[in-house]
Amino acid sequence: MTIDFRPALPALIVALTGVVALVIDAFTPRAGRSRTQSVCLTGLAAALLVTFSLPVRIGCPACSPLTGGSVVSDTWSVALQALVLVVGMLALPLSTAYFRAIDQDRGEQNALIMFAIAGMLGLVSSVELISLFISLEIMSVALYALTGSRRARSDSQEAALKYFVTGAFSSAFFLYGVAWLYGVSGGTTFDRIASTLASPLGGNVGCALLASGFLLVGFGFKIAAVPFHSWAPDAYQGAPTSVTAFMSTAVKVAAFGALTRVFHGALFPLADRWIPLLAALAVLTMIVGNVSALAQRDLKRMLAYSSVAHAGYVMTALVSQPPQAAAAVFIYLVAYSVTNLGAFGVLAVLAKDGKEPLTLADISGMARRRPFLSAAMAVFLVSLTGVPLTAGFIGKLRVFAAAISADHAVLALVGLLMSAVSAYYYLRVVVAMYMEPPQDEDRWANVTGAAGLVIALCALAVLMLGVFPERLFAWAQTAAQTFR
Amino acid sequence: MSYLENNTLSLLILLPVAGALVVALIPRERETLQKTAALLFSGLVFWFALGLIRGFTASPAMQFVERKAWIPAYGVSYHVGVDGLSLWLVALTALLTPLALLASWSSIDARIKEFNVFMLLCEAGLIGVFCALDLLLFYVFWEATLIPMYFLIGIWGHERRIYAAIKFFIFTMTGSVLMLVALLVLYKAGGQSSFDLTSLQRVEIDPALQMWLFAAFALAFAVKVPLFPLHTWLPDAHVEAPTAGSVILAGVLLKMGAYGFLRLAIPLFPHAAARFAPWIGALAVVGIIYGALVCLVQTDLKKLIAYSSIAHMGFVMLGIASFTTIGVVGAVYQMLNHGIATGALFIIAGMLHDRRDTREISEFGGLGGVMPWFSALFLLVGLASIAVPGFGGFVGEILILVGSWPKSPALTIIAVLGIVLAAGYMLWMIERVLHGPVKHASNSCLRDLTAREAFVLVPLVVLTIFMGVASPLFTRKITPTVNILVHKVSMETRSPSGDAR
Repeated sequence: MTIDFRPALPALIVALTGVVALVIDAFTPRAGRSRTQSVCLTGLAAALLVTFSLPVRIGCPACSPLTGGSVVSDTWSVALQALVLVVGMLALPLSTAYFRAIDQDRGEQNALIMFAIAGMLGLVSSVELISLFISLEIMSVALYALTGSRRARSDSQEAALKYFVTGAFSSAFFLYGVAWLYGVSGGTTFDRIASTLASPLGGNVGCALLASGFLLVGFGFKIAAVPFHSWAPDAYQGAPTSVTAFMSTAVKVAAFGALTRVFHGALFPLADRWIPLLAALAVLTMIVGNVSALAQRDLKRMLAYSSVAHAGYVMTALVSQPPQAAAAVFIYLVAYSVTNLGAFGVLAVLAKDGKEPLTLADISGMARRRPFLSAAMAVFLVSLTGVPLTAGFIGKLRVFAAAISADHAVLALVGLLMSAVSAYYYLRVVVAMYMEPPQDEDRWANVTGAAGLVIALCALAVLMLGVFPERLFAWAQTAAQTFR
Repeated sequence: MSYLENNTLSLLILLPVAGALVVALIPRERETLQKTAALLFSGLVFWFALGLIRGFTASPAMQFVERKAWIPAYGVSYHVGVDGLSLWLVALTALLTPLALLASWSSIDARIKEFNVFMLLCEAGLIGVFCALDLLLFYVFWEATLIPMYFLIGIWGHERRIYAAIKFFIFTMTGSVLMLVALLVLYKAGGQSSFDLTSLQRVEIDPALQMWLFAAFALAFAVKVPLFPLHTWLPDAHVEAPTAGSVILAGVLLKMGAYGFLRLAIPLFPHAAARFAPWIGALAVVGIIYGALVCLVQTDLKKLIAYSSIAHMGFVMLGIASFTTIGVVGAVYQMLNHGIATGALFIIAGMLHDRRDTREISEFGGLGGVMPWFSALFLLVGLASIAVPGFGGFVGEILILVGSWPKSPALTIIAVLGIVLAAGYMLWMIERVLHGPVKHASNSCLRDLTAREAFVLVPLVVLTIFMGVASPLFTRKITPTVNILVHKVSMETRSPSGDAR
């Protein structure tokens, strides 16, 4: 049997682009600026084109490709790959702008972003545990390096080390779960696992549940769900801000894409058992994330805890039936990605001469000097709060409606009350920007060029998706056809 | 022209948004142009609102209905219309916004552009709330009013503005997320096909669930009204807000809560509403007495007006909780009266603040001789606020009391006590500000009303007297809708399913 390699093509293109970027940089004079941004953008665009032109399968989230192999191209993988690629394309200009501002524009960060994206693309299209794990590691290793890429700063090093140690730990959990599942089902493909779990398991049900638990722990680290979130604030704070923007969005997209496929595909026969566990984790994540964010003084740390909370919101969607859950997860991920990328992006593009705004005092009165950037930031924060006419509201509406349709109204109640709590810390930033007097001197960069365009696009997307969500709903419906 | 007639409500909602965009595009230095543009757009909205009143026929039917699919996949539509409950509230919003803008013509001196933009956006959101007939649309407008008001308080407010703005936002948002949960549960009970009010009204809901859903909606609305003991955000927000913000807050925003009861909570869950009614009535009366007592000890002019709002809105809620046609009509009418009288009081407090930069009652005294025209209008507005016969407030409060008497004489009697207390705090305040000798030298040469200020105040005073003597012109258009609502509740409480437990 000849294996059809086409579903792996987007990931391969992106990985190759990364290699090309490295080679180009090797031949660029050390003092010069990296020229790889356009190469990388082209590579991502090409991968996006290929993603959409592949033959797409509908239905059956756990089925292996007919032609053999372990990655598929179905509606779910296409939708999430497209999202990852778009987030990557938006994150690259931010990254270039930021690394120029801290005078460390050497280009390898572009290559690392490419490798991370290649891993993410594999993650959302894998239907087999080993390739899933390898994709996860490709993504993670690139991210560890990216986190530590601000070499002159010790907090960046510290963040990378913490992220790496806990990440390695979680990988071990994940792998252990894979081993247990292999023991139960005798295979690593999702269809094999699903069919085994659907048949009477007898004494093996405990082992299967244990395996599911280990996988959930592994994913829990990647999506930063409580109680596996402790690395996130340190890593998000210490990493270069543009990297934080990228990893707080793209990683969540990829990890939730894979989590949805694994739990609603391979492990779906056990749904009655893992749903209560997931619901409990979701409640814990929403509460701890939001309450911890209240106490933060550092902006990046606050946004880090906020993204922990948002992982909790997404998890509430997963307790409902597969097609609806998948659609809600996708909608939330889209809304969250453009919003959070924008929010961290604003902080990143303000960086100048190696310094960047870190506290509320640093951005006080910003609205007078930078009305457009402040307005964009206000839009992002309002969207994170979940106020109507922004994408964030549409996302929350769908995930909580999904939870309620599965008779988990308590989850929705906790989530929405926590949204009201979150208003406090998001609004503090708006207060600082709009209601506090400005600083004496203007210490931050003026935003221009591609990075400014990215922020504008994100803000526009947040508003457009919030006011006219119909198209997003249609995309989500298509994406969720895999789970029909 | 027929296009305009068919889309009057959309016009009323979108015109302020268009105005906000226009103001935003005017260069920052051209401040007068920004103010003029905002005033022009809000004036235009008022003009179309007058057309709305003229075109409205006294029948219970929804009128000026527009319906377009918004998110068809999810059963959400842009469905708007007005009936007797909402007509006058739309008109009130359209009236108070231009007057509030005019009242702050010279007292807002920083970031004028943003101020006008937020005022117009707030107006659009408020009109949207009163017109929406789709629950999700209602929720969207409901929350959309929050952001501009938050900025209005937080940027242009007084000393403790940031605290007040955040408190206002969190209180309201907590209430409204409860409403959102209930709304989604209701959507599920209705078969997940539509958020439309009329189709959701037909959904049969289990009585026990109905109680929970009503409680969630009621909590959201009670925060906004505000019903005692959820009122604590109000004094902060009203006192710290700039004049225009206070006018819109007290004049219109509070009505969103009472209107929410009438439009959503009661028709959707009539059975639960009837069961909760005695409690709501009792809390309303507690609010009446509590608000009035607190007013008696205020030394701050704006705080006094703010607390008097709690008392007045208590009357509105008492009328609603009576579930008699007279009582509910009185409640709707009283909302208008309160909006106009309290709006005018806040404008007056703002004028004093503009002149003396203080809100302390003890800083004034003897203004009657210094500013005769101002004092005359102040007195009239004060009397209107405490429902002296001849003013609109009297009609409203009498209707409410007459309506609530057969349901609970005890509550009605206590509420009447509230009227006496109101006369006490208001007249005493007026005495301390207007009468006696001029105590502070700086008060001896205060300027009387300017033409602009007179243009703001006189229409409100005339209107409140007109509403006192020609009330049938207004209630005629309110009553048919209220009849249907009251009938629905009484049917529900009498039907066997209502006594299931």
